[in-house]
Amino acid sequence: MKNSYNDLNFKKVLYITFFTFLFFQFLTFKSYSDNVKNGEIIVKQMVADAKKHALKTIKLSPKERSLKIENLIKRFINLDFMARATTGSFWKKATNSQKEEYKNALLKQISNTIEEHLNTLSTLVYKPLKSEARGKKLVYVKGVIKDNSKKVPDVNLLWKLAKDKRGNFLVLDLEIEGISLVSSHKAETMAILRKNKGDFNALLNTFTKSE
Amino acid sequence: MKKIKFAFSYSLILLFVLSGCTNNLTISAESTDPFEVLNRQIFSFNKTLDQNIVSPISASYVKTIPHSIRKNVSNHLEWMDKPSTIVNSALQMDLENTILASAKFMLNGLSLGFYDFDNNETKIKKKDLGSTLAKLNVPEGPFFMVPLLGPKTVRDFTGTLSDRQSLSNISSNSVNKLNLVEIPINLVDKRSKLSKSIENIYKSPDPYTKMKSYYIQNRRKNVYGDEYLEVKNKKLDIEFEKLLQ
Repeated sequence: MKNSYNDLNFKKVLYITFFTFLFFQFLTFKSYSDNVKNGEIIVKQMVADAKKHALKTIKLSPKERSLKIENLIKRFINLDFMARATTGSFWKKATNSQKEEYKNALLKQISNTIEEHLNTLSTLVYKPLKSEARGKKLVYVKGVIKDNSKKVPDVNLLWKLAKDKRGNFLVLDLEIEGISLVSSHKAETMAILRKNKGDFNALLNTFTKSE
Repeated sequence: MKKIKFAFSYSLILLFVLSGCTNNLTISAESTDPFEVLNRQIFSFNKTLDQNIVSPISASYVKTIPHSIRKNVSNHLEWMDKPSTIVNSALQMDLENTILASAKFMLNGLSLGFYDFDNNETKIKKKDLGSTLAKLNVPEGPFFMVPLLGPKTVRDFTGTLSDRQSLSNISSNSVNKLNLVEIPINLVDKRSKLSKSIENIYKSPDPYTKMKSYYIQNRRKNVYGDEYLEVKNKKLDIEFEKLLQ
């Protein structure tokens, strides 16, 4: 009698453990797939908004246009992360005002690059390809930019996204044909910082000169 | 004359292999730049030359020549490069690429490569001696800027020179002359295709480092393909996850 009672308890524990494990697996899988879906939605929305901006802002003055593009960047790109990722260990040594100045310089640089390409974007088509969860936080969204007139060859894109502290999905990095923007920007800033023995003001001056 | 040409090619390869021996396999060209001072000087020379001569010619080429003709010229230049892809694909045991490149070379040969009968539907990976050496685990060696040619690594520069030399050894004199004439056309054609990226590099705070980073990432992707991208992204993922904590 006692033995069968023990058996029953053991089975119960086994079942509970098994179903709890299944439940958590399901939750993890669901959160991963939710992340992937959110990532895809954000990228689609960003491309659509950029196209709209390209058409809407053509008649605006250059200053107004830049402002609109900067707002677009702030909505979709995690500038705080990019600033930290591109300055490496030097970020901790910078003062708060230097950090803010660097973020603004970075924003200006991205905005200038987008502005140059915005006019051509209106004639191109973005097609999403594949998305995947990477590790616990990151999501990769792959896509391709196609030119229907076939004047420009296809361009493969890879967006890397993650949630920020407020829970919003934002872009951390963009790879164009395998070239990571964060990596190349980091190489550049680190070269300037090393040359100037870690002087953040020298980095900011170089940025201002190039604008 | 032919003996001298052969001796030149093989001494180049030997020179490269020897220079490779002095470098640690794990050290990447991205992190080491022993010729940085000289490289920067050559970069600024190339930049001046580009901004004053090549870029204006390339701009007027785009402005005056219709897109369809420019495309035909591009097709022809790519076709002229195909023998190198065929030979190196075979050396790399990439049978599929060898067959596809050979078929495309023969098919487009009907129009001397000016017309692409395949309409760019078949994707052929471009291969050169640099990529063959990479497959043989020869280290890429330090990065350096070549006057007029632009960024290269020692391995890729050796590959480019040897490719040209080997092709001129097996080609007839008239083809060699044609090759010489096509060098400036190739330069203008490539410049017109890359004009936005190059302008973007010139505007950056440190154009030399940006060009070096773009070149190395792009070259490694072309040589090692998805394998390189996966390794690079795994490293970046770890870095990003740490920063997100």
